[in-house]
Amino acid sequence: MSKIGVFVCHCGENISRTVDCERVARASEQIRGVAFATDYKYMCSDPGQALIKKAIREYELDGVVVSSCSPHMHEKTFRKAVEEAGLNPFLCEMANIREHCSWVHEKEETTTRKAIELVRLMVEKVKRNVALEPIRVNVTKRALVIGGGVGGIQAALDIADGGHEVILVEKDPSVGGHMAQLSETFPTLDCSQCILTPKMVDVGSHPNIKLYTYSEVEKIEGFVGNFKVTIKKKARSVDIDKCTGCGECQLKCPSKKIPSEFDRGLKNRTAIYIPFPQAVPARPVIDREHCIYFTKGKCKACQKVCPAGAIDYEQTDEYVEEEVGGIVVATGFDLYTVGEQGPYPDYRGYGEYGYGEDPDIIDGLQFERLASASGPTGGAILRPSDGKEPKSVVFLKCIGSRHPSKGIEFCSKICCMYTAKHTMLYKHKVHDGTAYVFYMDIRSPGKGYDEFVRRAIEEDGAVYLRGRVSRIYRSGDHLIVKGADTLSGAAVEIEADMVVLATAVMPQPGIEGLFQKLGISYDQYKFANEAHPKLRPVECATAGIFLAGACQGPKDIPETVAQASGAASKVQILFSRDEMLREPVVAKVNENTCIACWYCLEVCPFKAITQKEIRDRKGNLIKRVAEVNPSVCTGCGTCAATCFSNSIDLAGFTDEQIYSEINALMAVGQDLFPEPGKEEGESPDEQAA
Amino acid sequence: MSDRTEGIREIARKWLGDGTVEAVVGWEQGTYKDKTSPVLIRTPEEADRLLFNERCTNNLMTYLKREPVRGMEKVGIVAKGCDIKALIGLLQESQVEREKVKVIAVTCPGVKKDDGTVPVKCRACDVNTPTFYDEIVGEKVDSSPEPGARFEGLEALDAMTPAERFRFWRGELDKCIRCYACRQVCPLCICSRCIAEKNQPQWVETSPHPRGNFSWNLVRAYHLAGRCVECEACETACPVNIPLMLLNRAMARTVKGAFDYEAGKDPETQPPLRAFNLDDDNSFIL
Amino acid sequence: MEESHGTEAGTERVDQETTATSWEPRIVAFICNWCTYTGADLAGTSRMKYPPYVRVIKIPCTGRFDPLFMIKAFERGADGVLVSGCHPGDCHYTAGNYNARRKYTVFKDLLATLGIDMDRVRFSWISASEGGKWVDTIKHFTEVIRGKGPFREYREMIDVG
Repeated sequence: MSKIGVFVCHCGENISRTVDCERVARASEQIRGVAFATDYKYMCSDPGQALIKKAIREYELDGVVVSSCSPHMHEKTFRKAVEEAGLNPFLCEMANIREHCSWVHEKEETTTRKAIELVRLMVEKVKRNVALEPIRVNVTKRALVIGGGVGGIQAALDIADGGHEVILVEKDPSVGGHMAQLSETFPTLDCSQCILTPKMVDVGSHPNIKLYTYSEVEKIEGFVGNFKVTIKKKARSVDIDKCTGCGECQLKCPSKKIPSEFDRGLKNRTAIYIPFPQAVPARPVIDREHCIYFTKGKCKACQKVCPAGAIDYEQTDEYVEEEVGGIVVATGFDLYTVGEQGPYPDYRGYGEYGYGEDPDIIDGLQFERLASASGPTGGAILRPSDGKEPKSVVFLKCIGSRHPSKGIEFCSKICCMYTAKHTMLYKHKVHDGTAYVFYMDIRSPGKGYDEFVRRAIEEDGAVYLRGRVSRIYRSGDHLIVKGADTLSGAAVEIEADMVVLATAVMPQPGIEGLFQKLGISYDQYKFANEAHPKLRPVECATAGIFLAGACQGPKDIPETVAQASGAASKVQILFSRDEMLREPVVAKVNENTCIACWYCLEVCPFKAITQKEIRDRKGNLIKRVAEVNPSVCTGCGTCAATCFSNSIDLAGFTDEQIYSEINALMAVGQDLFPEPGKEEGESPDEQAA
Repeated sequence: MSDRTEGIREIARKWLGDGTVEAVVGWEQGTYKDKTSPVLIRTPEEADRLLFNERCTNNLMTYLKREPVRGMEKVGIVAKGCDIKALIGLLQESQVEREKVKVIAVTCPGVKKDDGTVPVKCRACDVNTPTFYDEIVGEKVDSSPEPGARFEGLEALDAMTPAERFRFWRGELDKCIRCYACRQVCPLCICSRCIAEKNQPQWVETSPHPRGNFSWNLVRAYHLAGRCVECEACETACPVNIPLMLLNRAMARTVKGAFDYEAGKDPETQPPLRAFNLDDDNSFIL
Repeated sequence: MEESHGTEAGTERVDQETTATSWEPRIVAFICNWCTYTGADLAGTSRMKYPPYVRVIKIPCTGRFDPLFMIKAFERGADGVLVSGCHPGDCHYTAGNYNARRKYTVFKDLLATLGIDMDRVRFSWISASEGGKWVDTIKHFTEVIRGKGPFREYREMIDVG
């Protein structure tokens, strides 16, 4: 027989105003298995908790029901109190007779009766509660950061400075990301590379950071605290330990007509190349697709000139395994492909604007390269077609963004600011030129942001026109931009020398492959999903994986850096203890009845269920069954509800507990509603009245 | 049909002779003239017992989930197109390994029920010539499923009011004697411990009382939703003639309408209760 | 535990209720801990009012909802059953509600095929901020059930013999 204690709280008058608390306590005593029941004015107060503890000891209670407010309010309080009295905290449940009863109903018989039933429900549940122990998970105090842009760099440096080892994986030959391509940054107009390159150097030389450039995450196994990561080091064809970075190879490489990714096609590079002068590591890589030796079988010019003997044509992709405890995903963004469909069929491009057909129609990142002192023109704004200085430049915002018919509904967030910046950079270099901006709205919230846009308009004279452009076509030396100024209602036609398209911020093409390996979810655009949009914006739903930067959605540099530091901080919280404790509300498999249909494995949102082989002593396979990893399971119970044979159950919400609750709710026990002063066992009719 | 019989025997002889399989599950002549029985053939000499005719109505796939067939390393099985649907279901749910089962598919112009009538599954058949097998016998038979045949029984049910339907099913389900023949014969009732036999807690009452009968038949149909391949074995086996296929077909119709899914078509797809789409119907959730 | 199921408080018949003039609707609500339960809490903190005939059984997520719960509730005399959780996209566990939605889709059609009055079954998404929606849902559902009266057909079946 159970010995349950029931503690009915008045909550001052919050409960007792509409519920007869004393009667609830007296009725609770009638429930089978209840050894003690009482009511008190404030159960959560020190004397209230003392009362519970005393009763636990005195009546040797094996379960406690606190009948008071919502468990969201005080479950932790009471479970702690129960634990202090020597009882397992998971043997305490709360009956919510305040939020779900006294506050929402009038003072009448049915309200008190409901309170009694809610107590009985919880008594029946608690009878089936079992002691649960927190789950302990060992933590490997080493982090993986995926992506070497400013977000990944910041996260890696913060974690490394915190004293933990970091594995930083970057798919390109150098860290730096998109920020390294930018000329100046808003709203201060300070040089992007000037603020970024010191951090790149730090990442390259930090004793706690192991840098894998030109590498990709191939496979991820394990779970929070215990991930095993396989990293593919793509064949660089250069031994970076021997290489001194002298650059002789680049000078001698005969294959020179390859559009530079870093300069976004505005300049060419060689087949063996260092992506940009400040690259970290400042070591070249051979682009095997374009290398004459790899495509035609002879050349080896680079090998001949290399004084260090670092060229290695035989190098192959190499796979290394690393064990980490936490992961920061900072894979960043790419721009919407304007001229064509791009990798996703829903995005229909802007064929009508002629991007990719006319060299003087460029995107925002190409303009950054034009304006950059390290760019193809040395920082002079010259149009790509003939190198002339454009006297009239038209900037188009919301290319892709906020344009559902082109497949995207979201706002790319950074374009309003960088377009304002572009007009300023342009005007500062071409004093007699005019910058036109076609916009839908100007969105400039942020510290110093709106002031910055105003400066572009008021001081640097950018001409802002509210409306979209319908067509761009070439007419001799000029581009004719036809659009509408919706504020004046007039059709506008501008003779432009160059057009800059502020294209939508998109995730890296194909990034969902990595997200699938990580087991994290993503939205329709393939931006990674955070665990909670407001309260857990840095965590993924999958424990131990955190987000930094534009892989989650469009972000500017300060936001990316802030989130990266946030992610680093989360990682360090994870690393602050040798083992972490997790709630024991997890699923468990009955191996005797599991038939290995793997429904549970498929429906688990957290990949917490795996296949386990049961073998006899000789090692022969007897059967396969599902196995829940309690370190990963978050206790949603979807597996339990899906299993046809109910061979998987959820601690804290077991089938037995829920069954008992349903049973208890529906029964109309005559002895449950005795009114004070009346004898028990009246006839049903009187009772119901 | 006799050439099909000969074809089956030939393949069975060969497989049993060269050790491709340990045994072949097939049909043989039953005790009565117009009946067949399932048979497990273990030697090439016995292969002549195998046959195929219009009375090979039963779905033999159900033997794959039972001993001794379940424990065999390699087993051959004779199957009509409709039977193979059950195999696909078992493959999807990892209950058999494809390498362990060698299928002798037989093209089928349709079979007959005990009373000589044509079952709905034949009138609605879209796999007279199987497409998933190791060997196939018989000449090609084109499928021409009779439009509407599959769900025709549901029309009368749809026309009733909920109260009438409830009364109808009370009448049918009250007859249930809880013999579980429907479950035993079903190739896709794969649980080793059925939910109806779980007693802590006991979700489904075991006594043949209307209360538990209702729960049992409801749970059975629910657990087969999106999995039932409409072989009609349950209904055929039911000793009290409960029209179980009405429930199964109602579920098949729902799954087809809501998830555009048909059981037993493609081993590479996910059964509907093991997956979801973000844009699944949400209209009924207020 | 020595208590066995079915012999605890709970085996008493509910027939007197179906005949008494003072019949009160019995509504069971299976609601998820994160959204609807919190939404119902909010209705309380906002001191909104609704009829007192709903009994809440908290589950961590609608993903935990097994249709067996609903059958058992009807078997135990429920007149109406509500299942409510987080809106699509809001699931605390990211996808429990999507899996639940598939189960509902199949199960509701099965219930309808068997002749269960679908007005007695309700599914909803109620977020933690929708205290008002919780109240409206319970008010409306209570009214519907009151209009229908006791679930006599089911109770007759339960009480045979």
